[in-house]
Amino acid sequence: MPETTITEATATTAVGIQQLSMQQALNRALDEILNENPKTVIFGEDCGQLGGVFRITDGLQAKHGEARVFDTPLAESGILGMSVGLAMAGFHPIPEVQFDGFAYPAINQIVCQIARMNYRSRGTLPMPITLRVPSFGGIRAPEHHGESLEALFAHVPGLKVVSPSNPHDAYHLLKYAASRPDPVIFMEPKSRYWQKGPVDVGSADQDTAAHDGGTDDAGSLTGARVAREGRHLTLVAWGAMVSRCLQVAELAAEDGIDIEVLDLRWLKPIDAEALATSVGKTRRAVVVHEAPLTSGLGAEVAQLITQSCFATLKAPVERVTGFDVPYPSGDLEDEYIPNIDRILFGIQRVLEYRRG
Amino acid sequence: MAEISFPLPDLGEGLIEATVLEWLVEPGQQVERNQAIVELETSKSALELPSPQAGKVVRIHGAPGETINVGEPLIVFEVPDDTAGIVGTVPKDEAPKRRVRLSAVLDED
Repeated sequence: MPETTITEATATTAVGIQQLSMQQALNRALDEILNENPKTVIFGEDCGQLGGVFRITDGLQAKHGEARVFDTPLAESGILGMSVGLAMAGFHPIPEVQFDGFAYPAINQIVCQIARMNYRSRGTLPMPITLRVPSFGGIRAPEHHGESLEALFAHVPGLKVVSPSNPHDAYHLLKYAASRPDPVIFMEPKSRYWQKGPVDVGSADQDTAAHDGGTDDAGSLTGARVAREGRHLTLVAWGAMVSRCLQVAELAAEDGIDIEVLDLRWLKPIDAEALATSVGKTRRAVVVHEAPLTSGLGAEVAQLITQSCFATLKAPVERVTGFDVPYPSGDLEDEYIPNIDRILFGIQRVLEYRRG
Repeated sequence: MAEISFPLPDLGEGLIEATVLEWLVEPGQQVERNQAIVELETSKSALELPSPQAGKVVRIHGAPGETINVGEPLIVFEVPDDTAGIVGTVPKDEAPKRRVRLSAVLDED
């Protein structure tokens, strides 16, 4: 149990470093976005009165009113279709799709309308929509509650895709995404909602400065982040897999292997320069994701690394991923999501590789 | 803290009520998801009902021998505000376990 409830975290206006869960950090960010931008509206299934199944919108309806934070019917195509209309009318919608797998009924609205309206209208109808999607697995939930859709969204021209791995990034990336004129798919790693971490809660001025090309302590908001420095091998990950890769790096250090962990954060566009810099140094790379292997984002990452580091790579880029099966029920989750041993095996395969 | 009431679910085949045989949990007790909470008897069979969620039991309805209609309150849980309504289980932060060890000859060329 956290010492402060999410609502209490929302009520505070203190700035500076605070220990917050990702739930609290996102809730605080949404509250500030509502304060700072009168065009912002937040809606989705259970987002209003209940405050969301994960409590991310807790207390926001009571504070900002039913016109700005409200519940919708259980109809994802309607939630996203309404977002299109609101954006055309000048609003900045932050809709929520309650779980990753619930986005499928809204794919038509996301792909055919949200991603293209700006292009189709020659820039006269921008879509400043931030679609929040509690994503990935790890909470023993039933079907449609543990899926990883990043490759699906990243493949669609016109969409940006981002996933924070910690409370600090969640707070800042959500505020940044909401300030953008383009649609952003904001994938929240639901298994990391409850873990606390330091969040540098800034004033509106500081955030604006960061948006205008400045950097915060974690580096530029628009790029990847080196979560741990190392010299022998780079683990590339995003979302919930970042913390697991950091655990793996600690274990590998016991064996004398010094691992760098690169938290991609942005999955579209991918920070190719950060990949080149990291793997240019370590010369070995393993990419880890929960999504199935085939046509997963790991393939894109591997190609970007090969493109920039082919001459110096010690081994082909290895992928440690979920399997090419539908996401399993909760009881089989631990077999599906890359675990520590599977990641260590991937690292060992790269370390053992010899040319010719 | 939030209270979540769980009504007697439809136990299948058009059954509209069930009789409490024995409660396997009591108020004040912390239960896990899928833990058996009550033994019920219908006109078809006797069965153990698994808990729909984790939480602390606040109230139970129906003494042994009493009949409850489908849709009437069966049990009330108390859960922390930040987990109320969640689908699934809040993951525990566990110390990392490993079986695989790494070995490598790293030529620093």
